[in-house]
Amino acid sequence: MVGHTQQLVLDSAEKIFANGCNKSVLDAAEVGQFPEALWALVRENGFHLLALPGSGAELEDVFAVLKIAGRYALPLPLAEVLLANRWLNHDGDELISIGLMRDSQVVEVPWGRQASRCVAVNAQNELMEVTGGDLRRRSNLAGEPRDVLIEVQSSIVHVEEPVFELMALSRVALSAGALQRVLELGLQYATEREQFGRTISKFQAIQHTLAVVAAEVAAVLRSADAAVEAIGDARFAMEVATAKARTGEAVGIVAEAVHQVHGAMGFTYEHELHHFTRRLWAWREEYGNEVYWQARLGRHICALGADNVWDFLATRA
Amino acid sequence: MLQFDRVSLPDTTDQLRREVRVFLSECDDLGRANSDFTTGHNAEFSRQLGAKGWIGMTWPKAYGGAERSFFERYVVTEELLAAGAPVSAHWVADRQSGPLLLTYGSEAQRQKYLPGIVKGESFFSIGMSEPNTGSDLASVRTTAKRVAGGWLVSGTKLWTTGAHLNHYIISLVRTEPPSENRHAGLSQLIVDLKSERVAVRPIKNMAGGEDFNEVVFDGAFVADDDVVGEPGNGWEQVTSELGYERSGPERFLSAFRVYVEFVRLVATDPSVHEAAAVGRIAAHLKTLRRMSMSVAGMLENRKTPNVEAALVKELGNNFEKLLPEIARLALPLSGDRTRFQEAYQDTLLLSPSFTLRGGTREILRGVIARGLGLR
Repeated sequence: MVGHTQQLVLDSAEKIFANGCNKSVLDAAEVGQFPEALWALVRENGFHLLALPGSGAELEDVFAVLKIAGRYALPLPLAEVLLANRWLNHDGDELISIGLMRDSQVVEVPWGRQASRCVAVNAQNELMEVTGGDLRRRSNLAGEPRDVLIEVQSSIVHVEEPVFELMALSRVALSAGALQRVLELGLQYATEREQFGRTISKFQAIQHTLAVVAAEVAAVLRSADAAVEAIGDARFAMEVATAKARTGEAVGIVAEAVHQVHGAMGFTYEHELHHFTRRLWAWREEYGNEVYWQARLGRHICALGADNVWDFLATRA
Repeated sequence: MLQFDRVSLPDTTDQLRREVRVFLSECDDLGRANSDFTTGHNAEFSRQLGAKGWIGMTWPKAYGGAERSFFERYVVTEELLAAGAPVSAHWVADRQSGPLLLTYGSEAQRQKYLPGIVKGESFFSIGMSEPNTGSDLASVRTTAKRVAGGWLVSGTKLWTTGAHLNHYIISLVRTEPPSENRHAGLSQLIVDLKSERVAVRPIKNMAGGEDFNEVVFDGAFVADDDVVGEPGNGWEQVTSELGYERSGPERFLSAFRVYVEFVRLVATDPSVHEAAAVGRIAAHLKTLRRMSMSVAGMLENRKTPNVEAALVKELGNNFEKLLPEIARLALPLSGDRTRFQEAYQDTLLLSPSFTLRGGTREILRGVIARGLGLR
């Protein structure tokens, strides 16, 4: 349960992200303009230090804030800043980002161009501090900066936590928020848009489409919460697998359906819908897509054997 | 309504779960290939469950219940389904007839019917659908005509699971002529299926089973004492049953035996494709189970989570149909497929009913759409 202080943090995140993430900020970020004002607000309110031990917040609250960030498509590498500050025990204001180690390169670094420090997750699920290297500007299909650092030097940072799984969970939390928003946009459009003399929400075909979307979103919210609830537990990795796999499946269904509800309007750049659907399509690939996590979960279950499948599923929480 | 809160089963349920597993391991007649709650009618098995105290277990002790929580009931029901146990005989009485009587029934009705249900000796059927009444439940035409001391029931109920073996049917009937308010004038009556002027004719389904029936009332007498709740209040009463009916583990576990046999075939050395199929099914099952448990928590807190229950059923029934497809397409060529084939064929042939019974997919999506403010 969220306590009073935590609720204040969530309320203020909701307010700041809602005010700060308007269409023009999202558009500008996509052409490479870093949202300085928003970043300043995040720092003034201490959001960037929320995951530091002793901040008074729990990781549960951190992921709740990321869900809100996803809901507004916050164009900042907030997940990276939060977790990098935690793992480096860094309480400064510089921006630290996190990428993936590939030989001597670090790939998929959110806003690497803006970062003063960078760490990377390697294939052994270790965290590496990275120095040097040349930056190449890249972006994902949502236009979010995902830069590459080539020819870097790196050294291991000792971290007790499962870094790859926590990064994957950040994508689940962001997606959960964005999925909620996409559903809301669908509901709003359906109840405003008129055709044949009535709002299209009165057509059964539209109602059923949005009912399917709502069911998918509800499933994602539950699976995301369950993974967060399992932080620190032995079953955490398999709960992340469950959530990331389930979320990825939902993203395909929800994005397709809500675009269909919006008609050509949602296909325009001018409409805000794509800022969320494109992020969802990008995030479902980051830190392992459905098949990656399904296979991890599946191998775990196969090792238990057919007669223990039910016992694995029938957890108390 | 999209927020399904965390529910943790109390740690007392671990012991209960072990007891159910021990009990099931000692039953010799579990040789069923599916986990479908409508297909295994076994009075002796139900009687043994009753003796264990696992029927009506949330009900007051005054009527033979155990006053245990919805969570404990949840554990028992999901263990039975996962094992493919034959639960059909007592299922409806335990899940909804008993709770209906506890909410709306008279003291005399509770005294008369609940102890038999709890013992696993008294079985009930649902009397809702009719030849011309499916999803449009308010259109029922079965009537009950006032006579001295009771009612004469005439009409036909359809798709009545277990009516040929069960003892009673709680029938939704029209006790007043249709009016502008089509939900008015409906009542629920307990009819003895063995009474005169009640004829039960089996209907064979496409899976070869004869679990459901046509029930014809030809002026069957029902005493005033057997009207559930107030005459005319039937609509409110039937809709209140739906939270119980739509969100339980039977709404996503029907195909579970297919999964177990699938894992048995691929477990030794799974390819990526096979492992992903195993994991995909697990991700759905874990999530559905948590949503379903969350609704059990709402019921425990005396809420009426009708939209939440519809969301669970919508997702769960679609998944029950998807499970055999995922497994089929990931099946290796090697290995002894006998047990898989048995479970797969049994489940596939039953699968068209998954998204029909207890409210069709179309009705549920309508319920959800209403919850979303679209209608």
